[in-house]
Amino acid sequence: MKWTCVIVEDLQVAADYLVKCCEKSALLQVKGHFTNVEEALDYLNKNSVDVLFLDVEMPGATGFDLLDQLAYYPKVILTTSKSEYAYNAFEYNVTDFLKKPFTYQRFQESLNKLTTPAGENNISSTATDHIFIKCDGKLVRLNNDDILFIESMGDYVKFVTIDKKYITHNTIKNLEEKVNRQCFIKVHRSYIININKIDDIRENDLFIKGNEIPVSKAHKADVLKRLNII
Amino acid sequence: MSGSNFSKKFIFNEKIDSDYLYSLYEDDYQYIEEIFGTTLAHFDEDYNSIRTAYEANNLLELKKAIHKIKPTFGFCGLPLVQHICKEFEDFCQKANTSNELKSEYQQIVITLAESKELIATEYNKLKEFNSNFL
Repeated sequence: MKWTCVIVEDLQVAADYLVKCCEKSALLQVKGHFTNVEEALDYLNKNSVDVLFLDVEMPGATGFDLLDQLAYYPKVILTTSKSEYAYNAFEYNVTDFLKKPFTYQRFQESLNKLTTPAGENNISSTATDHIFIKCDGKLVRLNNDDILFIESMGDYVKFVTIDKKYITHNTIKNLEEKVNRQCFIKVHRSYIININKIDDIRENDLFIKGNEIPVSKAHKADVLKRLNII
Repeated sequence: MSGSNFSKKFIFNEKIDSDYLYSLYEDDYQYIEEIFGTTLAHFDEDYNSIRTAYEANNLLELKKAIHKIKPTFGFCGLPLVQHICKEFEDFCQKANTSNELKSEYQQIVITLAESKELIATEYNKLKEFNSNFL
């Protein structure tokens, strides 16, 4: 079965090339091509697709405006000629960033990223001893060992470290796939905790440095399995 | 885009980076013709957007217009022209009025016009080349 995709691109030659790449891959079915955000949004809010090939600068609203307004979040591959957008790409958690023009081989590499199961698509971030988060207009390095827990705040999350709190635009669902699973575990839909920082567990709560964190029934067994109970 | 072993039977104008072009499309000359044709079909509209924005002293639209046309040249094997567009886009970012860009603008409209002429010539050559193989 093919993935469905939509191309949002105002440059005709680039859109045609993308269609050609999609057809050649035999993995993608192009459901539509739109040259501006408004038309694309109108379609995407009525029709769900798996993959979105998205230009950034277009007449009127930008590709990032589209992502802000989209009711759901397909896999996104940004297609732009401006490498400066790589930082925003990181912030929006897009699957890949194709700088125009790109070769078919580079396009295939993007598709490979789509096929990589969630949580395995960024080995460097899951296997290292630190993460970078965007905070106050800069990327801040946080060592895993310094993070006590991560708490959901709607469209934002709060990273609580030993001596500081950082709020950044992200979700627990997304972070669950990105953090080092040797250190971190989701204990509740709103919390990911550092397993090495638990002070004690009582009933359906755990405590880290005086912070009471709920443990949901669905996650309790997994948490207990990870503890060195003797 | 037709396979890894390909021939380079068509001789592109030396101003076109044929290696770059082959890296994108291999020896799919029909498709290269199509790419050049699509580029030419939309060129004047994009080119006029640049001129209109400059004459209206609308730097934001000028930057947008040059940004839009920029990758076209990469797709046509003219990565150097794409780079020149990128530099002009950066100038637009820094300038306060279009008058500050006068010399750069005059240069870029010449570059764009020459590039169009080059693409058109290669398009006609490709058309003839491809028709001989049909």
